[in-house]
Amino acid sequence: MIELKNLTKKFDNFTAVDHLNLTIETGEFFGLLGPNGAGKTTTISMLSTVLLPTEGEILIDGNALSRKASAQKRKLSVVTQEYSMRQDMTVEEVMEYQGRLYFMPRKEIRQKTEELLEFAGLLQFRKRTVRYLSGGMKRKLMICRSLMIEPEILLLDEPTAGMDALARRQMWNLLRKLNNENLTIILTTHFIDEAQALCDRVALISDGKLDVIDTPKNLIQKLGAFAVDKTSEETLQTRYFHTKEEAIQVLSEEEGDLALRNTTLEDVFIDRVGRSLDAPKMRRK
Amino acid sequence: MGIVTVLWEKWTEFKRDFYKITLAAMISPVMYLIIFGMGIKVTSNGEPYLNFLIPGIVSMATMSGSFGAVAQNMSVQRLYEKALDQVMISPTPLWQFILGQIIGGSLRGMYAGCIILVLTAPIKTGLIWNGWTFLIMFMNGIVFSTIALTLSFLAKSYNDAPKYNAYIIVPMSFLCNTFFSTENMPSGFRQIVSFLPLSQTSEMVRSISAGGSPTVFGMAVLVAYMVIFGSISFAFIYKKKNL
Repeated sequence: MIELKNLTKKFDNFTAVDHLNLTIETGEFFGLLGPNGAGKTTTISMLSTVLLPTEGEILIDGNALSRKASAQKRKLSVVTQEYSMRQDMTVEEVMEYQGRLYFMPRKEIRQKTEELLEFAGLLQFRKRTVRYLSGGMKRKLMICRSLMIEPEILLLDEPTAGMDALARRQMWNLLRKLNNENLTIILTTHFIDEAQALCDRVALISDGKLDVIDTPKNLIQKLGAFAVDKTSEETLQTRYFHTKEEAIQVLSEEEGDLALRNTTLEDVFIDRVGRSLDAPKMRRK
Repeated sequence: MGIVTVLWEKWTEFKRDFYKITLAAMISPVMYLIIFGMGIKVTSNGEPYLNFLIPGIVSMATMSGSFGAVAQNMSVQRLYEKALDQVMISPTPLWQFILGQIIGGSLRGMYAGCIILVLTAPIKTGLIWNGWTFLIMFMNGIVFSTIALTLSFLAKSYNDAPKYNAYIIVPMSFLCNTFFSTENMPSGFRQIVSFLPLSQTSEMVRSISAGGSPTVFGMAVLVAYMVIFGSISFAFIYKKKNL
């Protein structure tokens, strides 16, 4: 279990994360969503101890996480938003470095490297320098690297950024499989469909503060499970309804380019972020 | 164990960039040797100037090799590649990571110094190189590795590494007993320069090469720098809020 207690991070006068309280259960697939600059990556950086909190603490299974806490850090693995790898190392050197940092025996390092690179389709590129890999390949390598050590908790900061649609779906399947094996996953993503498809619960943060936390299904139902889009030349206006009948009634009464669809987590995101940014509000029934 | 991991990482880098590292370590010192030692044939206190110059160049090469290896590598890892994140989250104790960087940096400095020893070996100078020489070279490497580590934690951009080189390494190269004795410097300034680590390293390597031995004062100055900058480096990796 991971507990974030009053977690706060300030950079001079700017508060990136503001008294964030979260509890993530063992084996949970948890999404951390928010607009750009909301504090998601800062939170992940504190979980990976690159940044130290200004206030508050992080507990892993009841024990405080710190730069000295090797036992807690052993449980964690992270895929950062940026390609945080030695660019001049080869693919297999990156894997070996990771294994060595986690004190894995050489034989196990070789075996796991082979398995993971084969799984990710990178085995034929094992001698290639990271600098010469494509963005998608680098991303896959980072995932392989993070799985090398069989972590209990996987922190994923935009793991599918730069991947094509097919590779993203393959990644989703892999993450589902890992989560089914009781791996706790914390995901930040700009692809809200990704969070909806994968996460048991999501937290929406804005300006470093927790806005709402619930399952994607509950969040959608609270907004209204059905959405009617009205498209005009300049705008797209969306209204949400709790029952299909209400939505159909609007469709029959109003004129214009109207379309009925299921509400998505992205609608929830836009609705809440729009409000928090004081943007023109979507009309809600 | 973590120290071995860092040394392995340094070794892979060394193997990969062997020719670049070797050439870079050779070019400036060889130029100085040719220009000051062979081109301008002078004597110093009745001795060929080369006998004065070579120990200074060896010390300088050790300094530049260690400092460059650590400052460049750590600044890029921390600020450009973000590869330090991989280390920070791992269970490898961070003191072992720092110690590995210091030892690795010092070995790179020793390599640069040894290149000069090999290149000047055919010249009949009568200079003596022994275990003390290598110990002082290693200590000098440690000093400049710890200074490089400290500065790379302070760097705001990976482009800062070359600036540190210009502000620290270049002035020390010319002022600290490498090309001329500090004895004739104005009082006050001479005392300040004598407390700089390269001055003491050059002095001790030169003394050993002439059949003497290192001084307690010189060793103490190097140890003081090691302790101060080593402690700052360890404090930074554990306590610095934003790495």
